[in-house]
Amino acid sequence: MLSIVKRILGQMKNDKRSLGLLLFAPLLVLTLLFFILSDSSYVPKLAVYDMSEKFVAELENHATVSEETEKPEAADYLEDNEIDALIWSDSAGTHIELLEKNSKSAVALEAIQDTNKALQPTQKELIIDYVYESTGDNQLDSLSFVFLGVISFFFVFILSGMSFVRERFGQTLERMLMTPIRRIDVIGGYTLGYGLLAAVQSVVIILYAVYVLQLQVEGSVALCTLVMILMAFSAVSVGALVSIFANNELQLVQFIPVIIIPQIFFSGLIPIDTIPFGLGNLCYLTPIYYGCTALEMIMIQGKGVVEIWPWLAGSVVFIGVLFLANVTALKKYRRL
Amino acid sequence: MKIEVCEVNKSFKQQQVLNQISLTIAGGRIFCLLGASGSGKTTLLRIMMGAIPADGGSVTVGGIAVPNRQLLAEMGYMPQNEALYEELSAWENLKFFAGLQRQSRKTFAADAEALLEIVDMAACKNKLIRDCSGGMKKRISLAVALIHKPKLLVLDEPTVGVDPVLRRKIWLYLRQLRNEGTTIVVTTHVMDEVTQCDDAALLRNGHIIARDTVKNLIAQTPDGNIEELFFIDNQSEAEAPLC
Repeated sequence: MLSIVKRILGQMKNDKRSLGLLLFAPLLVLTLLFFILSDSSYVPKLAVYDMSEKFVAELENHATVSEETEKPEAADYLEDNEIDALIWSDSAGTHIELLEKNSKSAVALEAIQDTNKALQPTQKELIIDYVYESTGDNQLDSLSFVFLGVISFFFVFILSGMSFVRERFGQTLERMLMTPIRRIDVIGGYTLGYGLLAAVQSVVIILYAVYVLQLQVEGSVALCTLVMILMAFSAVSVGALVSIFANNELQLVQFIPVIIIPQIFFSGLIPIDTIPFGLGNLCYLTPIYYGCTALEMIMIQGKGVVEIWPWLAGSVVFIGVLFLANVTALKKYRRL
Repeated sequence: MKIEVCEVNKSFKQQQVLNQISLTIAGGRIFCLLGASGSGKTTLLRIMMGAIPADGGSVTVGGIAVPNRQLLAEMGYMPQNEALYEELSAWENLKFFAGLQRQSRKTFAADAEALLEIVDMAACKNKLIRDCSGGMKKRISLAVALIHKPKLLVLDEPTVGVDPVLRRKIWLYLRQLRNEGTTIVVTTHVMDEVTQCDDAALLRNGHIIARDTVKNLIAQTPDGNIEELFFIDNQSEAEAPLC
């Protein structure tokens, strides 16, 4: 088993590009997400027709406002002038016309609501408090557990899956199995070898996220790292298992929409209990669910080992089951 | 190590690749499986090694039924592809497979140096496989099969892509191993190489159409060209020995 571990580490040492991709590609993706999801300073562009001077004056504190003397046709006007919303009033009330529902229209509506709130200061305000509230300024903070888990899992899955496909088609697997090595040692060596690389990746990702991107972690960073390492080990096993069903590297890539994307739905991106037809229960079959839930509890809720142990245990059970499945699947190549 | 193949059948997706193959390969001999591409040579080799199961029949090596894990320690296998790790050097590949074969660390360095000398790769031992030519890879692959001094050496087209001078050197070494008691099974579709072997079997469409010592097989041909045996009409399957 140790021979395989040493070989994998040796291969990686001589393959700087793969090593670089394993360690730095996740950091690049995280950095991009950090900027993409950061709070934007976007000022909405609004147009008003026949609105009170007081309203317009207040609205100008929240948006760029243009006043129209004639009521324009909303669809063409909004599109041609790149206006986010047209506000006008008649006897029925105040109308707000928006092009489509998206993040820009949300910002426009927020500006209008802020204006209304400022004009009616006597109205009692709704005070909303979250038990687990992100104190960070970045939207990434509230979804960091999803991205950390999914990104790490994805890159390790690709690496281990591709390596196993290459082993099979380069006949090195057959050659290896024509030695007295046991199947359990082959899978053990693989899991440990790529697992060690994945563990290094997990440490790099979590340190970068916490100390460079300054993502919020309410609980223990060390515990986060442990959870990510467990996820990485399960990603190695999933990659190895899936590779058995792939006849070439292209087919392994084609498995990504089947294996990875559905898992993202159960990562915490969508609340499980809002998924209809009981489909949310499928989460128990996905390793990402256990890892991301544990990460969420640590990073957002500040929970410790005592609270997250069922999810840690779930990850460990998953690794064990996948390990045995891989050992059994190797029978296809050697019965002993 | 004597090999006995008894009434072995193998099909892939309804296509019969091996049909009632029976063979006895004496220990300490060089045995050649000769046949065109797709004749079933590699499949027969893989069944002999225990890499794939036969649909019917049996194989024993040294009296032990395959597959047997302990037996694999006595075998050296060189597949048709180079089957080497591209991101490792020749030396690292040798070291890895020697480790799997539980070869003594003390003797590894000396054995590896000697083998690399034989396959003319000593000067390039630290070169990564991905930077080697096809012929170089073939030579390193042969060295990997030999590193643990197996009693049975199974070589699938070992000299394809190797230059004539080196090919002669390799055959000299294989004969030396044979003289030391190693049983060698080689597949080839190069007729000239058959003369380097002691015994041979000709495979066509999953049947053995002839088997004998190489001298006797040559004697059966009108002009000493063993290839003629493939073209002799009415050449039926050679009589199978009783298992």
